[in-house]
This record gives sequence, structure tokens and C-alpha cells, in this order.
Amino acid sequence: MKPLLWRSLLRHLIRHPWQLVLSVLGIALGVAVVLAVDLANASARRGFALSMEQVTGRATHRIVGGPQGVPEAFYTRLRVDLGWREAAPVVTGYAALADQPGQLVQVLGVDAFAEAPFRSHLDGVSTAGGTLTALLTEPDAALLPSNVGQPATLQAGDRRLTLRAVGQLDAAILAGLIITDIGTAQALFGKQGWLSHIDLLIPPGATGAQAINDLEKWLPPDLKLEPAAARNQATADLSAAFSLNLTAMSLLALLVGMFLIYNTMTFAVVQRRALLGRLRALGVSRREIFTVVLSEALLLGLAGTLLGGLLGLWLGSTLVHLVTRTINDLYYVVSVRDFSIAPLSLIKGAGLGLLATLAAAWLPALEAADAPPAATLSRAYLESRWRAALPRLNLAGLTLLGLSGLLFKLSYGLAAGFLGLFLMLLACALLTPSAVILLVRLNQQLTAWSGPLARMATRDVARHLSRTGVAVAALMIAFSATVGVGVMVDSFRSGVSLWINDLVNADIYIAPLAQESGASGASLRPDVLVELRATPGIAALSLYRRVEVTLNGKPVQLLALELAPAARAGYHLLAGQPRAAWQAFETGTAVIVSEPLAYRHQLRVGDAITLNTASGPRAFPIAGIFLDYGSEHGRILLNRRAYERDWRDATVGSVAVYAAPDEAVAVLRQRLETGIGRLQPLVMRSNRSIQEYTLAIFDRTFTITSVLRLLAIAVAFVGVLSALMALQLERAREFAVLRATGMTAGEIGRLVSLQTGFMGFAAGLLAIPVGLLLAAVLIFVINRRAFGWTLPFQVDPWIIIQAPALAVLAALLAGLYPIWRMTRSNPAQALRSE
Amino acid sequence: MRRYLSGSPAPLRQGMLWTALALLVLAGLTYCALHPASVPLPAATPVGSALGGIANAGFQRAYEPRPFVFPEDHGAHPDFRNEWWYVTGNLMDDQGRRFGYQLTLFRIALSLNAPPPDSAWRSNQLFMGHFAVTDVAGKRHYGFERFSRAALGLAGAQAVPFRVWLEDWSLTGTASDALPLRLQARQDEVAIDLNLRAVKPLVLQGDRGLSQKSAEPGNASYYYSYTRLPTAGTLNLGGRRFNLTGYSWLDREWSTSALGPEQSGWDWFALQLDDGRDLMFYRLRRQGGGMDTHSSGVLVATDGSVRRLGHTDVEIKVLDTWISPYSSDRYPSRWAMRLPGENLDLIITPRLPDQEMRLQVRYWEGAVTVEGKAGGKPVNGQGYLEMTRYEALASP
Repeated sequence: MKPLLWRSLLRHLIRHPWQLVLSVLGIALGVAVVLAVDLANASARRGFALSMEQVTGRATHRIVGGPQGVPEAFYTRLRVDLGWREAAPVVTGYAALADQPGQLVQVLGVDAFAEAPFRSHLDGVSTAGGTLTALLTEPDAALLPSNVGQPATLQAGDRRLTLRAVGQLDAAILAGLIITDIGTAQALFGKQGWLSHIDLLIPPGATGAQAINDLEKWLPPDLKLEPAAARNQATADLSAAFSLNLTAMSLLALLVGMFLIYNTMTFAVVQRRALLGRLRALGVSRREIFTVVLSEALLLGLAGTLLGGLLGLWLGSTLVHLVTRTINDLYYVVSVRDFSIAPLSLIKGAGLGLLATLAAAWLPALEAADAPPAATLSRAYLESRWRAALPRLNLAGLTLLGLSGLLFKLSYGLAAGFLGLFLMLLACALLTPSAVILLVRLNQQLTAWSGPLARMATRDVARHLSRTGVAVAALMIAFSATVGVGVMVDSFRSGVSLWINDLVNADIYIAPLAQESGASGASLRPDVLVELRATPGIAALSLYRRVEVTLNGKPVQLLALELAPAARAGYHLLAGQPRAAWQAFETGTAVIVSEPLAYRHQLRVGDAITLNTASGPRAFPIAGIFLDYGSEHGRILLNRRAYERDWRDATVGSVAVYAAPDEAVAVLRQRLETGIGRLQPLVMRSNRSIQEYTLAIFDRTFTITSVLRLLAIAVAFVGVLSALMALQLERAREFAVLRATGMTAGEIGRLVSLQTGFMGFAAGLLAIPVGLLLAAVLIFVINRRAFGWTLPFQVDPWIIIQAPALAVLAALLAGLYPIWRMTRSNPAQALRSE
Repeated sequence: MRRYLSGSPAPLRQGMLWTALALLVLAGLTYCALHPASVPLPAATPVGSALGGIANAGFQRAYEPRPFVFPEDHGAHPDFRNEWWYVTGNLMDDQGRRFGYQLTLFRIALSLNAPPPDSAWRSNQLFMGHFAVTDVAGKRHYGFERFSRAALGLAGAQAVPFRVWLEDWSLTGTASDALPLRLQARQDEVAIDLNLRAVKPLVLQGDRGLSQKSAEPGNASYYYSYTRLPTAGTLNLGGRRFNLTGYSWLDREWSTSALGPEQSGWDWFALQLDDGRDLMFYRLRRQGGGMDTHSSGVLVATDGSVRRLGHTDVEIKVLDTWISPYSSDRYPSRWAMRLPGENLDLIITPRLPDQEMRLQVRYWEGAVTVEGKAGGKPVNGQGYLEMTRYEALASP
């Protein structure tokens, strides 16, 4: 019996190759998207970990200092006075390769004699050629990675240095890392007298705890001891939200894929109900039917997963560049950009593909096995069961909807947010069959005048709810995902655009050229400032200095500001009374913090934050919270005088110039270029170019999201195509009857087009509210929880039109092949063939 | 490692390669210090050729006796390639428990030219330190090494006030002289803090301080010693504290090149006899075996008066050997030394057989006891002995 049973079911698939191909394709697309995103994420994470390892090595702790770092004299005290042995000084920074603009490399300046316990990647250094002597005594000696040609000319700020290779770091993981003597790195970055940090090796246990205790007592107030992992972790955390977002996108694609698979499997079973009924009548047991249907699903799943795996590998290798580019734009320079195939990702992709297929096939298989043999032969029985189940589906849908609402209301975490999101989508899918019936009824009224064909087409949809309901739900989910993500990105962009336009309201922005090539700490020379203040035609100046400080162990940006009155308008206070807040800010006793910072650290106006200043920890009350997309980890605004007082740092990073009312900006700019421009290499930018630059960065960041959205659209498109095509192909006999009773081929073509068109339209239409709901959740729940941003909810009508338009287009395309086949076939033969 | 070793480095552990790299260079420098750079020694060929470029050219060399000026000459002589402050001693606590110690700070010039002053880290001077303690009763020998550039106050040498240091290993004198000297060093579970004072005047070795090491002019060093320094202080060893007294010995030497290609290694004796006399003798060994004619020494009388010893004045015989279980090197472990002209017959025995310095460059340096006869009367003593290049293949 068994082989016969198998053959009878497989024969069906073989006789319907289109259906076979389309179901495999549906699964493959779902798997490919998930796998690709996961692989890209894993590669980026690995790149990150390796980049970190290059610098951190085996260090367990590090001593960090203020904005400039750790005074080098402290290292001498640590070694000579305190006799601390396992300590290594590090001067590190990013520099641009002069012949490859935009390509940043990390320079790691070390003391060879302190390195051995810390970084093993120097194992690759050759002993031949007096490398060490050269490193120590020649100011242009370096160990260069194999991917950097030599000599390598580096541009760090306005300093240019040509390095000569005295040894090569040829291990693949060291791409983008240059090792020099610590003195060379200091000279390159202009950090004479300072270290980036001091690495320490402190054993775990009581000895280590004692050592930490002793050291902390001994540390000056402006230096801090922290676990080495803490900083890496903090940096990793930043990207965690980003990669979680990507994962969510891929899961969304999987969800869509699952619906498509579910649709495929349901259809495959429903279509063969008569056959299954006959088999049952012949004595095949329920168990056997169930097993064979699931096995078939497994086979399809396997084929789809394999295909999807290959597709995913190819897609992933493309995506990894987008992902690392985004990470580089947003967070830090990942020097490792290799695409690596993580076995875990493969397992995840395969597991998801197979499990999703099985899960999707489970209900149809159960249903097929459960139906009484006689009933399975009757189509009416199935449809009536579906109709009877509608109230239950609705109830379940509404319950899930309520549950997801509760989850959004009560939970705080990102994972719970995603759970709510998926529950909500599931709820909408469950409510779809009822919505389809509602649409059919509505359409009946509208099409009353348009003749029997249109009425017939739409009523057919309602009549075959067992097939059409699932198909429309699947398509609806697919398109709602594209609508939701589209609206979210669009809203985000318009929020950022408004924000940057308000924020950047001065006429000319001036920064040292050095900042262009990675030396973010570069500052304006004092004589530039003096000259600037003396330049005529300037109404007001804002001075900026940006440094990184640590808040509750996380790095955040501190902006030391002297603001022109007009500049204040650029900061929209979301909380705090503006007048009082700015007054408190001007006294230097209070700070204004960005929204993400307040959100992440659960801070309100009136709370205080403690910052580690050069003269020890100091608490600053929060006077206001401002809208900011500039940094997802948060920014703190502090009055410049207070910063100079507490951090003993009088440098100015950049300046905003407000032209006098009667001064032409172009003329002023010319004057500045010839004036202060000769004192120091500077970049001068108009507000416009900064705004454009910001949006360009934004668009780059969201390229990956747009790509994923396009993928989701592709999946949905293929879904519509396959679902509806299968649906119509299956009706060959029905059409033959209609032909036999006198309908022309053209009329049937119109019937099919109307029907698929209606279903596509229904799916597209329903996708709009669901998509908007999804967008709302993404904007108000997911993004807020991931980044702490408040985004405006902005809907681009084009995105709204796009969904139904694409759905209808796909649906009409889906009808073409069945129509073509049907018009070519002989009705009599079609009747006989069943 | 009294005088530079031309020994090949021990097999290097992975992960130590960076230090090893440093050491290979040092070994190379050592090699160059002792041999004309143009003649490679098989064991040191890769490094020797690598360092050929920065050989002796431009560095000052010791051609003839010079006037010594103190306290200035206690400080560094950066125009010479190598220099060391070499302290060894035999100490004892009130219970008679014996210890030996060694603290050597080496200065090495990497190049003649001062690097650009664009960073305080830049320096062409390197310091290497060796620190060892022998616990005779505990039958343990502790040996440590460290390196640092002479920059940023991490390491350095200055004459006034006298201070030579490598991190927290240091020799500190007074404002006007190197002596009395405070010696401090610690690492891991070992820490010493000693005060050394002089009872005998400073001894100029060789010809008025010029110590010729091989035939080529300039293959010599400037060399002076304090042969007997009463010492008192403390030793902390694994949490136990010992109050110690005894005698130390300070050697000072600077040079650019020393050994010739025909010389293979050396044995260096620094002995303090209980009749008040001190004996220094270095035996330079020849490639084919036997004593090199440049082997030399001094006998310092109780009043500080000096008698120079040439290679014919001293007869040395190896009575026994010891094979290091760690390196398989075979070192002499018992010596007979005769000075016929002085009627002095000595048997020299290490206090512990294993005082091998298993550092990046391997050698044996340790405390020894001396027994024998002086003019027919029994004489005892103590001292320090250094033996280099006893690789399993090389014959002593």
C-alpha cells in the first residue's frame, strides 16, 4: 500500500509541475532571506569581534582617562613606582590611506617590550631583518597588513606619514590593522604625552580583587579602571539593536514565507481531497494519510531549503557589505569585512525552512486525515466546515490582537515588542477570511450593475474560502510587511530631515580638516579662534567640542557647547520647560540630554547623572531632554565653561558661524577661507551640505532595510503568482464545464482575471491597514525600544498605493498562464481528464 | 650573564615570540659585541647577518687606557654600544641560611643616531635586566629578566645622583657617589632590598681599566670593579622575610666589541676569600678548546692593592660536570684553580648545581663556595661564577 500511496500522491505533483516549482520557490525565498540576513549579521559580528580582539588581546582590564586619554607619565608611575608588570600602553586611532580615500585603517601603537602577555597576533612577525630595532629607532617603521601596499601613506588629520614595512602582518584577520611603535603612533595622531589607554592583565580571584582594590585607591580621579570587556561590550551593544532589527526583518520575511508555505501546503492538500477521500475509502488509515502528507511537505521543504540555502549564501555575501558599511557609518570601523559562513546560521536557516514547512503542513495534514472518507469527497463539506469555523477564527484573531496590545502596553524589552508584533500579524491573518467575505459582500453591491461575470467572479472567491481565504491572508501579510517597513523608513527619514534642518541653522560650519580623516578628536587652533572672533561680518558663533564620556559604564557623547542664541532653537526640548532649562544650562550646573540617553538610562528631568570629570565624579541635574537622532546611545549637552572647568580642556572641535544680517554668506566664506584658512587646514561647510550629507548617511544606513523590503516584495509577488496560478490551474475542469455550457474562452479569461484581480486587490487593500498598524508598532514600539527615538508617523501615499497596485499586477500576471492554457485546451478533453 | 653572551637563544615558546624577537636582536647584539660583525658564528647566523648593518660603525671603541672620572663614569656611556652594572653577592641570615643574588642592568645602544624628538617614547637606548636569587637551603633558584627602552623614566642610568633602574629594579647611590648603594628588585614572590657599602677602593681592571678581550685593537672594554661590598638588607621570599648580611661585588664595564671569532665562550670567576683577598679571573675559551691568551684577572689584597693575572698565571681544571635537565647543556660543576705564583690552590663548587639562567638567552650564573689552601694554610671563600655557551654540542 505504502509505495502505491506515495506514487498516487507524487503523481499529482509531477502532473502539476508548476505547482511543485512554485511551492519550492516559495519556501526557498523564505529560507534565502532569513539565511542571508543571518549570515550577513554573523559575518559582521565576527568582524567586530576580531577587530576588537586585535586591539584588546588578552587584556582583562584597562585604565582609561578623559577625552585625551591617559597621561603617559602615569604609565611610568605604574611600572616604576608601583612595580605593576602586566601592563601595556596603547596609542591607537584611525587614519585614512592617502591613496585610497575613505579607506580607514586602525593604527595600533604599542611598546614591544610590554606586548608579549597581551597580543598574540604579533606571533606572525618575522624575526629576520632586525624588525624590532627598526620599529624602535626608525620613525617610519611599521608592521603592515598584507592588504595594504607599502610604503603606506597615512593621513591622520593634517598629518601625513609614510610608513615603511619592516615586517608584515599577513594573517587574514589583521587586514586593516597597522602596528607601529607607540612613539610613531603618538606622532601620527598628535597625541604626544598621552596614551589611548593602558591594558592590564589582572588574574581572577582574590589576588586579582586585591590588586584592583589597591590600584583603584592609587588612581588619580581623572583615570578609571574598567574591565576590558566592558568597553567592547558597550560597543557591541550598540550594534546589537541594529542586528536585532535586521533579524526582525528577516523573521518578517520568514513569516511571509511561512504563510506562503502554509498556503502552498493547504492548497496541495485541499486540491487532493477527492483523491485522499478515495484512498481513505480504500482503507488507507488516517495515520498513513497524515504521515504521507507531512512527508511530502518535508520533501518540498527539503528541496526549498536546499535551493534557499544556495540563494541565501549568494545573497548573504552581497548583504554583508551593506551591513558592515552601515556599522562603519553608525558605530565603529570594522576592519574585517570577510564573508564567513557560520555553521550556526546554516543550521538556523535549514531548521527554519524545514520546521516552517512542517508547521505549515501540519494543520492541512491533520485536516485531511481527520475528515470522514465520504466527506472528503464532498467539496461542500469542506467549505461549510470553513464557514462554520469563521466565528472561532475571528475570536482567536481578536484575542491575539488584544494580547499583542497588552504586550505593547505592559512590556519594556525589545524581544517582547517583537513577540507582540508577530502576534498582531497572526491575529490579522486570522481575521482575513472574514474580511474577505465582507469585501465580497461589499463588492456584490458595487458590481450589481457590471453583469453576471463580475458577480460570479467575486462570489466564487467567497465560495472557495478554504483556498482563497488562506491565499489572501498570506498575500496580505506579505504586502503589509512591505507597507509597514516602507512607512517606518519614510517616517524615520522625514523625522531626521526635519531634525537636521532645524539643528543645523548656522550659515557656515568650520572644522579642522583632520576630522575628515578619522581624527575626531582634532581641534581648532587657538589662533584660528582669535582670528575668527576678529573677522567682520559675523553675527554670532557657536563653539562645539565633542568627547566621549562614560555614563553607567556605557560610552556616550558629551557636547561642550557655547551656543549662539539662534542655535538653541535647533534643539527641540521634549521635556523640561525651555526657558528654565536653557537658563540652568547656561549656568553650567545642569545638562540637557538627548532622548535616547534619557530613554536608555531611564532618566527624567530633575534626575541627575554622574560624570567622571578630570577632577573626579560630579553630578549634573538634567534640565531638559531634547529630540536627537545624532546618536542612538545618547548625547549630553554641557555648557562650555563648565566643561573647561571640570575637564580642564579648552580645545574647540568645530565652530558654527552666523553671518551678520547684511552680510552675503558667500562673501563671508571667502573672507574666512583667506583669513583663518591659511592658519590651519579647515573644512567649511554650508548648512545645506551638512543636511544633505546627513540624509545621505541615513539613506546609506537604510539601504539594507530597503533591500530587505524589496526582497519581501519579491517574496510576496512570487507568493501571489504561485498561489493564484495554482488556484486557477486547479479549476480547469470547472472552466471546461463553463465552456461546455456556452461561455466563450474570452469570457472565461475575463472571469479568471476578475477573480485573481479581486483577490490581489483584496490582499493589497487589507495590507494597507495592517501595514499601517505594523508601521505604528515598528515606529512607536520597536524603534523606540531599540534606539530610544521618537519618530513622527508619516505616510507616503505612494507606498500605500504601491501595495494594492503590485498585488493586483501580480494577481493579473498569475491569471495569464491559466488563461492561456485553458483557451488552448479542448473543453471535452479537460472534462475527460478529471 | 656577565658579559654578553653569544649563545643561541633557547627554543622559543609560542606567544613569547615578541620577547624572543627582542632577545634575538639582543643575542645578535651580544654576538656583535663579542665578535667582529663580519664573521658569523653558526649558532647566531640569522641574527648576526641581520644586525650586520648596525655593527660597530660609528660607536666608540676602547683602544687605549683613559682617565676615569667619578662619579661621572658611574653613569652611562651612550657612545659605546654595550654597558652593564653587574652586582652579585653571597648573603646569610642569623640562622646561617645562605642565599645568593644577582642583579644586572644592561644598557644597549640600538643605533648611533638619536631618533627624532617627536615623542617621549623615542629612544635608541635599550635596557635589559637580569635578576636572580638562589635559596641554598630551599634548593631553589629564581631567575627573571625584563626589558625596556630608556625613555619616559621607565629605565635609565644617571651618575649624579647615581641611579640605574629598569622599572622597579634599581641601584641608587648618593648625591656624590655610587656607594653606599641601595639595591632594590622584586618580581613575583621574590623581593630584595639591600644596602651595599665599600670597604676596599675601586679596582681598575686590565691595563688601567682597559680590558683587552681579543687581539683586534678596540676589542676591549673599560672595566672597573668593587670586589668587596659589605651588604645588609632584607629578602622576601614567598611571603617569608629574611634579614641578611654578607658581601657583594660590583662590576662595571662598557664596550662596543670584545671577543674575536676564535673565542667560543667564557667562565668568569669572582671570588672573595676569607683571608681578605678577592680574585677575579675570566677564562676565555677557544673554539677548538683550551684557554685563550686574552684570559685575564686580578688578585686584590686586603688593603686594595692589585696584582694582575695573565693567562699563564692561572691553571684551571674541570673536575666534574652537571647536565641541565632543562636544556641538556653540560656545565662544569666543580673546578680546581691553581695560582702557582701565589701558592694558591682552590676547589670551587656551586652552592646548587642548578643555577642555570633559563631566560631568552641561556647561561649559568650562581653562587659558589671556595675551599683550598693559601701558602699551605686552609682558606675558604665564596663567590659568583658565570659560564656561557655550554650547549650540548659545544665542548667545554
